[in-house]
Amino acid sequence: MLNIKTKNRLLIFLTISLLSIVLITFVFKTLEDNVLYFYSPSDIDQNEKIKLNKNIRIGGMVKNGSVKTEKNEIKFIVTDYKKEIIVSYKGTVPALFAEGKGVVAEGKLQDKKFFLAKRILAKHDETYMPPEMKESLKENVK
Amino acid sequence: MKKKNLIITCIFFIFFFITMFLSLDKNKIYSTRDYVGQQLADVDLEYFNKNSIFNTKKISNYNFTLINFWASWCGPCRKEHKNLMALSENKNLKIIGINFRDKQNNAKEFLKEMGNPFFILTKDTDGKKSVNFGVYGIPETILVNQDLQILKKYIGPLSLKDVREINKIVKK
Amino acid sequence: MLSNLGIIFSSVAFFVSLALIYLSLAELKISNNIISQKIYKISLVQLIFSILSFFVLLLGYIFSDFSMINVFENSHTTKPLFYKISGTWGNHEGSLLLWINILVLFSFLFLFLNKNKNRNFKIYTLIFQNLLITGFLIFLLTNSNPFSPIFPVPNEGMGLNPILQDPALAIHPPLLYVGFVGSSIYFSAALAALVSKVEAKSLATSIKPWVSISWFFQTTGILVGSIWAYYELGWGGYWFWDPVENSSLMPWLLMTALLHSVLVLERKIGLYSWVIVLSILTFTMSVVGTFLVRSGILNSVHTFANDPSRGLFILIFLILMVFSSIFIFFKYAPIEKKNYALFSKEFFILINNWFMVFFLAVVLIGTLYPIFLDTLIGQKISVGPPYYNFILAPFLIPLLFLMTSGPRHSWISSEIKKIFNIILVLSLSLFLIVFFLIKESSLIINLILLFSIYLIVQTFFDFYENFKNKSINLSRIVSHFGFGLLIFFISINHIFSIENNFNAKLGDNKKIEDYNIKFKNLEVLQKKNYKSVIGHFEIINNEKLIKENLKPEIRVYNQPETITYEASIKSGLLSDTYLTMSNISDTDIFNIKFQKKPFMNFIWLSVLLISIGGILNFLKKRIT
Repeated sequence: MLNIKTKNRLLIFLTISLLSIVLITFVFKTLEDNVLYFYSPSDIDQNEKIKLNKNIRIGGMVKNGSVKTEKNEIKFIVTDYKKEIIVSYKGTVPALFAEGKGVVAEGKLQDKKFFLAKRILAKHDETYMPPEMKESLKENVK
Repeated sequence: MKKKNLIITCIFFIFFFITMFLSLDKNKIYSTRDYVGQQLADVDLEYFNKNSIFNTKKISNYNFTLINFWASWCGPCRKEHKNLMALSENKNLKIIGINFRDKQNNAKEFLKEMGNPFFILTKDTDGKKSVNFGVYGIPETILVNQDLQILKKYIGPLSLKDVREINKIVKK
Repeated sequence: MLSNLGIIFSSVAFFVSLALIYLSLAELKISNNIISQKIYKISLVQLIFSILSFFVLLLGYIFSDFSMINVFENSHTTKPLFYKISGTWGNHEGSLLLWINILVLFSFLFLFLNKNKNRNFKIYTLIFQNLLITGFLIFLLTNSNPFSPIFPVPNEGMGLNPILQDPALAIHPPLLYVGFVGSSIYFSAALAALVSKVEAKSLATSIKPWVSISWFFQTTGILVGSIWAYYELGWGGYWFWDPVENSSLMPWLLMTALLHSVLVLERKIGLYSWVIVLSILTFTMSVVGTFLVRSGILNSVHTFANDPSRGLFILIFLILMVFSSIFIFFKYAPIEKKNYALFSKEFFILINNWFMVFFLAVVLIGTLYPIFLDTLIGQKISVGPPYYNFILAPFLIPLLFLMTSGPRHSWISSEIKKIFNIILVLSLSLFLIVFFLIKESSLIINLILLFSIYLIVQTFFDFYENFKNKSINLSRIVSHFGFGLLIFFISINHIFSIENNFNAKLGDNKKIEDYNIKFKNLEVLQKKNYKSVIGHFEIINNEKLIKENLKPEIRVYNQPETITYEASIKSGLLSDTYLTMSNISDTDIFNIKFQKKPFMNFIWLSVLLISIGGILNFLKKRIT
């Protein structure tokens, strides 16, 4: 039969296993609850399942000439060169937000064409460089 | 026990490294290559040396046109410049330069030092006009035909291979 | 000319490193008790050439030598001298050169200063460290060479980004590098310890000073980075759980666990495997961090420009490092008897290790999850601060309690010493006072406040006890005291921070809670390389009748074309007033963000105290 020492060891092992399972479940559940999905304008156009009342992020380039400011809000178009979406935002736009530059907006989708943003993050890269360019630059530097 | 630990550790790291390796390949930035095949945008550009306007519609006057976006402060533009000079010898091709977000004097110095391949020289001081051509960074070169159709878009400095390709296309 | 000189010096350093490895291997074959003079001399030569190559790049920046692409891309003749100098390491290639110099410096110092009696241990440490150095030099010379020439030589450089011209940002990288690059030496020492079968206690004595130093610099580096973010980014925050921030925090967590484990090993009690594994993991984590930042797979505010080939190189290096370590560890695995007496100091340190590992896992999962998801199923996501805060906050409660009661137990013994003591009662009363003052409803935050107060009060009494007995064990007391303060002030700051966004025209008046904000004046100035638009605001606290004048600024630069928003911050003893302003284009309407951030200076001070504990530990006399 099991002696005291083995019983103790088993108890410790079971406690630790149970604790680990609980912790891991807790961590991953919190992760899922706090994950912000990111979509491009094309993703939004094609994806039927995006809930309208859920906080998401969309990103792309700010379309040239699309930025309009009214008294309380700023409106602009985000494009990925295939599809577009109109974004409305009330608040301070960050530095580096400009037409022709990359942008990520966080908020809720009103419908497939319209997005209400709560936060705007601009890409920290004031010279946008297409990936093909980076390749050829690297080639030429050698 | 020791061996089991070893196997678990190895599997974990192998999985981790494979994922990191795959993620390096993923392209996250938008490509402007989609512009090829489309019509050139109708844009008013300011001439470099005078106050008047050059409209891109006038490009239909020429058989083939190369539109090159450059600046004096751009290193790779220096590298490709000799290729542009070579291309300027081609009688079938007209090269239009768009000086991008540059200072007038610096641009002049650059051309004096490296040579001027441009049939027509315009400027885009704040970079906003270039966006209409899908250009956000330089150097970039667009090959257009008489119908204002974008034939080729070269992102990054022109290589000798690109020069050969351009010469071949404009022969027709 | 500088370009050629730089390439020559770094190539020489590379060959010398190879020579050092070869000579060290040869040295092992001789059974001897001392290390021959040759090794010392070659090591000195290596250091000299390494420093010379860095010096060459530095000169290139100081004298604006644009014949090197690196200087051309990252500097400008009109940059102030201080920023020209800091520009040397403010880019990928330059910072890589700094990495290498730190690796070489630590290798040299370890060789000359370490007094371990096991000579093979020292030689193996040198070999492993130089394998790292050689690897990084290969990377530098073949892929990321700061000395690459450009012809024809441009007249002017491209690097005039105003956001990078900041004193905190200038010293933040070097501090962090001494931290996590410095951890390389105990990585090498750990592998050497396994292979040379060095005596456990002597390993602890050998690496302790290095762990203390790197920990101090890592803590200070993180502090400076947060201060920069607070003053420069204009968002009012100081920690964003940004992947790059996380990359500096994760080695820190491992270093903290290691520092504590070394204390146990030093007294020959246990945790030998922990010390080895933690030493290996710290530097590994540092390289993983550098991989994430430089490979371009992360999208963050901080990343250097993307280049997949860099990532590939670092990844291959990392794979070699990790699998070599795994092989060595399992082949030479230390045999250890595990019997920890319950309620002894080493038991509490073991628990602390598990806490650090847990925090590390949480941060690692949060940082890597988006990458995994994107690569494996193509779904792009981001993991926000709520995940980290929600998971980590509750665990602070037991951590704070254990930090307080743990040190009061003695080594080895297993009595449950008075866990609940008079101090706890005193803290409880203090907490109740605080509770009635602030009336916070969240249970978790209240418990955090209670136990941070407990830690603060207990360490305070410990200090008094120490002082009375004239025994000096300040390092633990100062660091734990600092940590208690940090958690306490972060909590208060979290509860009482105010943020309000509103639109205003010149002359407008806005009332927010107890504050009256008046847009008094608008000033437009033309400076040397930017246009400055300054808003003059008068903020009156109606309750305390305090008046403050703040001047947030919008700067419009024209080369390169950038707009920056300079926050106006009045740092007071009890709180900071924080104002930023942006202009809604083509209108006379400004968007204003007003923030009140309590106890910011105390938060900085707390972290400083924590890091000071590390220096005190370094200076403490060794236990014989």
